[in-house]
Amino acid sequence: MFKVSLRSLLSHKLRLVLTAISIILGVTFVSGTLVLTDTIRNTFEGVLSNVDKGVAVQVKGPAPATAAGRLSGASLPLPESVLAQVRKVSGVADAVGTVERSGVSLLSNGQVVGGTDQRTLLGLNWVSDPQLTTFELTSGTAPRTADDVVINARTATDGHLVVGQQIQVSFEASAAQTFVISGIATFGGQNSIASEGFALFTLPTAESLLEANSTFDVIDVSAQSGVTDLQLRDRVAAALSGSSVQVQTGAQAASQTEQNAVTEINLFIGTPLLVFAFIAVFVGSFLIANTFSILVAQRTQELALLRALGATRGQVFTEVITEATLTGIFASVVGFLVGIVVADGLIHIFSSSAKLSVQLNALIVSLLVGTIITVIAAVAPARRATRIAPVAALRQAEPEIQGLPRTRIGAGLVLFLGGTAGLLQSLFTASAAAGPNLEVLGLSVLAIFLGTALLAPILVRPVATVLGWPARLRGAPGRLAGENARRNPRRTALTSAALMIGLALVTAVAVITASLEASINQSIDGTVRAQLVVLDEGSGGFSPEVATTLRQDPKLADISEIRGTDVLVGDIATGVTGFDTGNIGRVLTFSMTAGSAASIATTTNTTIVDSTEAASENIHVGGTVTMTFANGDKVNMSVGGIYTPDALISGFLVSLDTLNPHLTTARDADIALNPAPGVSLPTAQASLLNDLRAYPQLSGLTRTQYKNLISAGLNTFLNLIYVLLGLAIFIAVVGIVNTLALSVLERTRELGLLRAVGMTRGQTREMVAWESVIIALLGAVLGLAVGSGLGIALVSALHSDGISQTAVPGNNLILYAVAAGLFGIVAAIFPAIRASRVDILRAVTTE
Amino acid sequence: MPPLPAAAAAISIAARTVDAVKVYGRGDTAVRALDGITADFTAHQFTAIMGASGSGKSTLLHCLAGLDRLTAGQTFIGGYELGQLNDRQLTLLRREKVGFIFQSLNLVPTLNALDNILLPLTIAGRKPDPGVVDGVVQITGIGDRLRHRPSELSGGQQQRVAAARALVSRPEIIFADEPTGNLDSKASGELLGFLRKAVDDLGQTIVMVTHDAFAASHTDRVVFLADGRAVQEMRSPTTDSVLAVVRHLGE
Repeated sequence: MFKVSLRSLLSHKLRLVLTAISIILGVTFVSGTLVLTDTIRNTFEGVLSNVDKGVAVQVKGPAPATAAGRLSGASLPLPESVLAQVRKVSGVADAVGTVERSGVSLLSNGQVVGGTDQRTLLGLNWVSDPQLTTFELTSGTAPRTADDVVINARTATDGHLVVGQQIQVSFEASAAQTFVISGIATFGGQNSIASEGFALFTLPTAESLLEANSTFDVIDVSAQSGVTDLQLRDRVAAALSGSSVQVQTGAQAASQTEQNAVTEINLFIGTPLLVFAFIAVFVGSFLIANTFSILVAQRTQELALLRALGATRGQVFTEVITEATLTGIFASVVGFLVGIVVADGLIHIFSSSAKLSVQLNALIVSLLVGTIITVIAAVAPARRATRIAPVAALRQAEPEIQGLPRTRIGAGLVLFLGGTAGLLQSLFTASAAAGPNLEVLGLSVLAIFLGTALLAPILVRPVATVLGWPARLRGAPGRLAGENARRNPRRTALTSAALMIGLALVTAVAVITASLEASINQSIDGTVRAQLVVLDEGSGGFSPEVATTLRQDPKLADISEIRGTDVLVGDIATGVTGFDTGNIGRVLTFSMTAGSAASIATTTNTTIVDSTEAASENIHVGGTVTMTFANGDKVNMSVGGIYTPDALISGFLVSLDTLNPHLTTARDADIALNPAPGVSLPTAQASLLNDLRAYPQLSGLTRTQYKNLISAGLNTFLNLIYVLLGLAIFIAVVGIVNTLALSVLERTRELGLLRAVGMTRGQTREMVAWESVIIALLGAVLGLAVGSGLGIALVSALHSDGISQTAVPGNNLILYAVAAGLFGIVAAIFPAIRASRVDILRAVTTE
Repeated sequence: MPPLPAAAAAISIAARTVDAVKVYGRGDTAVRALDGITADFTAHQFTAIMGASGSGKSTLLHCLAGLDRLTAGQTFIGGYELGQLNDRQLTLLRREKVGFIFQSLNLVPTLNALDNILLPLTIAGRKPDPGVVDGVVQITGIGDRLRHRPSELSGGQQQRVAAARALVSRPEIIFADEPTGNLDSKASGELLGFLRKAVDDLGQTIVMVTHDAFAASHTDRVVFLADGRAVQEMRSPTTDSVLAVVRHLGE
């Protein structure tokens, strides 16, 4: 039987390719993601194996008190005195302290240097001991004077910077200072540190510029020969006992860094990409199921002949499954290889120095995913094949006209309702702290999609009738197209369902972003009273110096710094935001449900909290919460009021006076302000922008501009989603091509008959195109409905978190439907041409 | 519809072939399916084309009907020379002037009987004449099955629907390719009777390929083919006279 499967596959190469395309594309996504993340990880590991080779022991400050549940490895600064203590430990060959802080900007001609991903650099001091540094100069010299800086190779290339050139340097928007580029360096051969740039200074410059205040972030220690890393670690730890510093061997530190990096790569790149890859494969599985169903129907005679010749049902099942397995393996291997090419291309775009890492793991996962999905999708068609009676071999094979598959519709209803229940349960019973259970959420959405796909055949008839109306007006081609779309509801539905998934996800995201935008706009119009805001579009914090500068501008008033930090409230990690309470009424208004917002202005160590947080943590006005700050300070705050959260303002709020004593470094997140009395908004903004010329990282925006900035950000996000879901939609379009091409093949005789009785080639093409449009629009209708439902459910679940507005972006939805119709026309091109070229004679002769 | 080439045949001739040659394949494998046939098919007559398998009878019908093209020679329908028409013109000619009845699978499975009957008019975007439709439906006797899909009709009923479809656009000529090939003798008799009536009562022209002497006996004239040539003709055929010629040709 294996031979039969193989022959059958090879004798229909076009069919094989059409079937395999959806799986190839899905597996490409999977393999591309795996190779990409492996490569990033590998590059990073390669660098790290260089990094700490000379470092025997690494000393860091105590972990922040707020670190519970966060990435491990964060630390507070170490007092300078620790370095002297470490140097005295016996067995220490050398010990150097390093200051390393991100937030350095290079400015040139009043502009920030570097692409968007390199806006800020990591600032460090140059270490001259070659044992204890990973930085290697590629040109120029190490920083020797206070105004020397060494920058990473990538930043130099991107910014067209050369050794000897003057450059302005600013740390978190402090006043820029002029430096000279003394050299260009790599980090263990890489032109950046995991895509972040760096700037190296002399130690005194780093300490003052990076505001280290006589502290180090890390002390690296090398060992004298004969002393093992472990021995030295224990000796250093013993010498520093009493302080809560962290002491690790170089290897431990490296593995911790590596682990953090891997976690971060998976969190921000690997997992999201794999989710989208999974969606693509899932969509592909619909097409596989559909294609095999059609193939089984078309091969009825052949399979019946096998049965007539004595093949058992089991053998027929095995035959179809074997064919699916071979297709799956073929498609997976091709997809795997294409994925490598795609990953290679992406890596070259982002960083030329990385070496492609193709792991056996990626091959195994790609093969398993592609093959298993194909086989699972082929099970139902294979079972149908076993029910073909041997006598069918003697009948003329004709395209069947099917009724509604009742058992499937029952199953679809159960899946759809179960999925909906699971979705609502996971969204609305989730605790505020833990958030919804993502596994339940994901499985519920999956169940809704499968349920809708199984229910869709019911909708084929009415939707095809309604959508068929304009087609009907076009005469016979439109009329026949409508009939063709309805003749096999299962096939039409499954083909549409593939498109539905991509469109539903796009729609859901569009609903969420539109709701977010509406909610933020409402917040800006309702809560925010300030007419101007200053912020870093790169979203970093900035020096309070900026506010000081603005306070000297007579055209501006109500300068209010907004500053946030991580805290533990009880044992829950959250954030607290500090305000200039002096201007609070003119900058922000709160809608209080209890107590008063003024309480934080009048009394220190008082906080107000949003009603959702208050409810979930059982906080009441007049009660007390204990806040633990990063530096370990524990403060009892009395609760002065409870307010309704909105999209911008939520969580614990305190006065700056309450917050400042507990901050290691004070950084503003935003500054809210107003024109001075009697000054018009344009005049005030012009003056603000003039003040900000010294800080090109910062923007001074009106409320309208702020809204536009947020819209632009959300649109960028939506565009990213379009790109990521584009593949799933593309696969679905390929699915329409596939279904139509197979249908055309199946209806050869009928098409020939139509041509014989006078249908022109043009009318034939038109007929196929209309059918395609009907399939695509059915997918669009389902997708928009399911997607809007999903989006509205998710937004409703976020109502209590301040996403108070539910917005369905009608224009986007119309656009998606129109796009789907166009996809339908594009998908029809190839099958329509085939249909119009049907050989009439072959169609009408019986032999 | 663009103007068709000028008429070249007498009014009383519905279709004609002149020195028709059709060669399939090339070189050693070439088969001359038609080897210089010249034949006229008179209007308002029922003509049968007979011959053994491979005699070229189906090929002749296909070429006459504009479904296939000759290698050499000419065919005419209602004065148009088919060889000079492009695909679109041929399609329009089939739509306007030609009706078809095939051996089986004559109907579009998604359409009910009535829609199948009206299909050529729908494709042409023409409004059906209710009188004509009623008349055709009445003659074929499928009035009670009009809302049924082809899969719900018997073989005989399907062929009668196909015949009604061929008639409803009032074509100049109907080509029938073994229309009774898949029918039992009762259904065959009914269909042939109906075709006969279409010629006698409606003045229709029908050319039918058949290998069945009983079917041929319903026609006005039989043209016998052998090896791609017209070898004999018979007027007012009977089953016995046709069988005699078939036997003679077989020797």
